[in-house]
Amino acid sequence: MHGTQLRIGFVTAFPPGRNSLNEFGFHFVNHLASSDGVESLVVLADETEAGPPDISEIRANNPDADVQAEAVWSFNDVTNPARIVKAARRHKLDAVIINLQFATFGDGKIPGALGLLTPIALKAAGVPTGLILHNLADNVDMQDAGFTDSALMAAIMNKAGRVLTRALLLSDYVALTIPRYVEFVRESYGTGNVLLVPHGSFEEMAEPKFGIPDGPKRKILAFGKWGTYKTVDVLVEAFRDLIGRGYDDLELVIAGTDSPNSPGYLDSIAAGCADLDNVTFTGYVAEEDVEELFSSSAVTAFPYTSTTGSSGVLHQAGSYGRAAALPDIGDFTEVIEEEGFIGQYFTPGDAASLADALAKLLDDDELNAEHGERNYLAASGIPMAEVCDWHITHLNRVIAGN
Amino acid sequence: MQIETVSHRQGAGPDGAQLQTDGDARACRILGRFDAHESEQFRTYFEDVVAEGTKMFIVDLSEVDFVDSTALAELVRAMKQLRQEGGNLILRRPSNAVRIILELTKLDQAFTIEAAA
Repeated sequence: MHGTQLRIGFVTAFPPGRNSLNEFGFHFVNHLASSDGVESLVVLADETEAGPPDISEIRANNPDADVQAEAVWSFNDVTNPARIVKAARRHKLDAVIINLQFATFGDGKIPGALGLLTPIALKAAGVPTGLILHNLADNVDMQDAGFTDSALMAAIMNKAGRVLTRALLLSDYVALTIPRYVEFVRESYGTGNVLLVPHGSFEEMAEPKFGIPDGPKRKILAFGKWGTYKTVDVLVEAFRDLIGRGYDDLELVIAGTDSPNSPGYLDSIAAGCADLDNVTFTGYVAEEDVEELFSSSAVTAFPYTSTTGSSGVLHQAGSYGRAAALPDIGDFTEVIEEEGFIGQYFTPGDAASLADALAKLLDDDELNAEHGERNYLAASGIPMAEVCDWHITHLNRVIAGN
Repeated sequence: MQIETVSHRQGAGPDGAQLQTDGDARACRILGRFDAHESEQFRTYFEDVVAEGTKMFIVDLSEVDFVDSTALAELVRAMKQLRQEGGNLILRRPSNAVRIILELTKLDQAFTIEAAA
């Protein structure tokens, strides 16, 4: 774990912007800034209408760290690779890490795809580059995820996804957070530069109180960006089912915003359940409100119909010691159990099954507490600071090899 | 999981040569499952070893039948701590289960791994 001190750039969506992976980006920066192997850190953030990247909290948490932030790329801008390379050169960076999922640089096909060429552009410019890749195109159901309505177009997009994955794999290393994905990419793409680096827990937190919080209401929480394969229709239906079964002390809290692919989705859901008294839509949840959101919940529900890997929300729920009702989607189940999480499973898309899973966790405080503790241990396994150390180790290895 | 204290004077270095350790070296063997639920036990053991002034610590992993990334992180943390103090943590004879995760994470290139005797 020894190496020289590096000037590192970190390409990421970043608060106050709300693009995907902004929270992971914030926490990663918060710990990377003070890592032993970092001389200075430049956050190469996204330009958003919310304002310039805000690192005031990062600076407060890391008073001795040399950290700065600059908005250098924009969602759906075709010039992102050139802009990022230019910034890397201007800051004379020793290495760059990119916080990436397939739609990070845009939901338009051209800008989204061009953005994924950023690692190649950096490498061509002589900047060692590591990726944190949060999902794989191979595992995204393009129709279900709302990228297209056509099966043919979905097949074409999957082919394009594989081409772009090959482009990403030209990075110096590609870090995936799930062991089976590492094995899959190595076998499917015949490459050796993909490796496992765990997701990491966002905060080192005091052990939470497990089990169902004191009332008066028992809250069922769903948190995310909604409208594509993450929908809450079936959850609302399950909630109605539970009320019909006589559960009269429940509150359903639907937190988060519409997915960029589904504007207006949550408004339509709210209109559809206007007759229910105990359904709350929080909208965007600010970082400082996340703990209370989870800690006050009796159970966290994940009404997904398909997934693209593990779940950042499950990691958050685990951090706060929450029990979870999870869809029994083969790949997802295996992935999260490999990570040490546990859930009360339900059949995806089946409201009665989801209601059964929720009821089980609402009725049995001991089981709820046991699941919460297991999820806490899984989520708090590796602090983000140590995940940052792993990345610095790999960057030093790459630089030494160059 | 069980942790046994064992002699550090067995095994061979990465190149098959006998491992050179000084008088402060200590060794343990981990048996069974080594995961998030067991990692605190290892941490406590390691802290006791370090408190005794040990800078060269050998961990025999030949009897480990499951290891997860949290447990691996414990080993990384211990290695980092010892290296910062001028010492090292050496992995002795990792089992197949351990080799797989070391290779998945490419941390086999960061650790000093002692080959089979």
